[in-house]
Amino acid sequence: MVASVLAACGGSNSGSGTSSGSGSDSGSGSKASTITVNIWDSNQQKGIQEIADKWTETSGVKVSVEVVDWDNYWTLLEAGASGGQMPDVFWMHSNTAQMYMENDILLDLTDYIAKDSTVDMSKFYEGVKNLYTRSDGKVFALPKDHDTIALLYNKAIFDKYGVDYPTDAWTWEDMYEAAKKITEGSNGDVYGMAMNTSNNQDGWYNLIYSYGGNVVSEDHKTTAIGSDEAKAGMEMMRKLLTVGAPQSVVAETGTDSLFQSGKVGMITQGSWMINAFYTAENHADYAWALLPYADVNGNGTCEKEERWSAYNGLGWAASAATKDPASCYSLISYFCSEEGQKLQAEKGVTMGGMTGVSEAFANAFPGMDISAFLKAEDYSLYFRPYTRNTTVWEDALQQKGAFLDPWQDPSDPALMATACDNAQKIIENAIANE
Amino acid sequence: MKQKAPKKKRTKAQKREMIWALCFIAPTIIGLIVLNFYPAIDTLWQSFCKTGDFGKGNTFIGFANYAKVFASGEVWHSLWNTIKYALIEVPFGVIISLILAVFLNKKLKGTSFFRTIFFLPMVCAPAAVAMVWKWLYNQQFGLLNNIFGTNVAWISDPNLAWVSIGVIGVWSIIGYNMVLFISGLQEIPGDYYEAAEIDGATGIKQFFHITVPLLSPTTFFIVQTRIIGALTIFDLMFMVMDKTNLALENTQSIVYLFYDYAFTQGNKGYGATIVVFLVIFIMIVTFILQRAEKKLVYHP
Repeated sequence: MVASVLAACGGSNSGSGTSSGSGSDSGSGSKASTITVNIWDSNQQKGIQEIADKWTETSGVKVSVEVVDWDNYWTLLEAGASGGQMPDVFWMHSNTAQMYMENDILLDLTDYIAKDSTVDMSKFYEGVKNLYTRSDGKVFALPKDHDTIALLYNKAIFDKYGVDYPTDAWTWEDMYEAAKKITEGSNGDVYGMAMNTSNNQDGWYNLIYSYGGNVVSEDHKTTAIGSDEAKAGMEMMRKLLTVGAPQSVVAETGTDSLFQSGKVGMITQGSWMINAFYTAENHADYAWALLPYADVNGNGTCEKEERWSAYNGLGWAASAATKDPASCYSLISYFCSEEGQKLQAEKGVTMGGMTGVSEAFANAFPGMDISAFLKAEDYSLYFRPYTRNTTVWEDALQQKGAFLDPWQDPSDPALMATACDNAQKIIENAIANE
Repeated sequence: MKQKAPKKKRTKAQKREMIWALCFIAPTIIGLIVLNFYPAIDTLWQSFCKTGDFGKGNTFIGFANYAKVFASGEVWHSLWNTIKYALIEVPFGVIISLILAVFLNKKLKGTSFFRTIFFLPMVCAPAAVAMVWKWLYNQQFGLLNNIFGTNVAWISDPNLAWVSIGVIGVWSIIGYNMVLFISGLQEIPGDYYEAAEIDGATGIKQFFHITVPLLSPTTFFIVQTRIIGALTIFDLMFMVMDKTNLALENTQSIVYLFYDYAFTQGNKGYGATIVVFLVIFIMIVTFILQRAEKKLVYHP
């Protein structure tokens, strides 16, 4: 859509080879006057546009950042990849990255990176970097960011029902006790906690890992979601649900809306959502704590492998069919350079995809302590479970025949155990069909 | 018996006329071929394939997808959900709009005002309508529960949600049906009513013995198009029901299921099969309706 026809007009602004680096002499395309960037998170649009504008100062190429909501993002991107128009630069996600890489939809960045001194591959988070590197070693996206999970609570609700605030020493049992006090203290008017079946990465996955299970094994070939460890984690989840908001409520209103309207005391959330709560009406009441841990060995202290947070990282990718691959790479390179990554953290967009650039992120939200997201990295992190076609089993796990059944009736432990067994089969079948 | 006309040679002028005629209809024909016929045939072809990513690498697998569709409880359940939706939308949508049309066809003050009011839902984007109703129905903060002081899970109770969805459908369609009915009513000559009045027929008798039979061609047209419309319903369920809603299984329509497979899960082949299955079903329904037309519609 940024037709090369327009390139004639932008020809005079060829300020390449400056600080943003990159081999703008390589590649075959002509120089575009505007690059379209698609993202799915409106919270980040402002910050990303600002960073892109800085790149425009040196490159002379304009960047237009457009937001398409998560569900439609993938429908549109796939339609574009199947023969329509794709944006020039866009986000990749662990759900679909493999499929896009295998089909050569994305611009191969390997050679560009080799010539680029501003990007140091060894500095990126291992899991994020591996995700966007194909089995033959080619790189198709650079790590944009990483995220972790923390516990969000409403101090006003804790004060009202006389419950102590969550601490970093909390186990999941402590969370249960607190939620119980709130739910019972309010006679069900306010719920202690809320979690939907769709809160996986930012929710119940973390319990499974805390108790020693996994959702997808490290080689992405199998799962232990039906193991005794995972069942122990989900049994804890079931207990939490007995004192949480019912499924019919969370499916209609959404846990975030419930929390923001003061109906729920605690939810778990990812660092990508901080801004939404930071700018919310009652943000002065909101505070973050580390995710609780599971005291598996019963010694009363938290070992490194007893507290787990999921982490995931988006990647900056470009379309293989773009008219101007050099400018696209140059933009990606700037986003993922130390300078771009530090800007991203300072502006409070997200934490970096690179290690050691995220300290500034904690200070990007004056008045709200979000250090829990950074502290989570002192304990164990697991990369967000994914396989080649993640959506197939991920959606199935959220629905009937899997975890929606125990969520609907959390009073029955047998339902949760059955759901774990069903989930095991769902994931195994999905992997077999990939 | 008609005699076969001998083949006439076309004159030059006739030929030129034909070429021009073709030129004039070409935009429509090309549009139809590119936007309707080609996709339809491609969908049919895909339903016999195990489709690859991004439309590449389709492999022919014969009727395997069809066997899976017929054996799938999910597909039949969704078809039944769709029929249930049609069972609410079509009869209520027709009856309510017929009654409204009869009243609004009278020479009273403010009829055009009320006609506009009832037609308004047709002007709104269906997605916007669905979003508004979603919040009206909301169990925690919804207007309905607030007004009636109830705590009903309108769209999360598996036994109730399909009715709630159907109500939105009826609400959205009555305006459109009503306009069609009004134009049908205006076709009925006033003499019939005058004669009936002289004979002492009451308003209700007039309605059942004059209006209903003489309006039956319009009614039949509305019923037939609405049945097809209801069987292809998608946006209401898509907008109102969250993916983790308990009642989704009991409300998801067959097009919703198609969307889920084809676009969310990326299984285009299976999605195409579901759609072809629906097309065949609609063809059967239409065939039966066409057969019934002669008996149901009053031809004076």
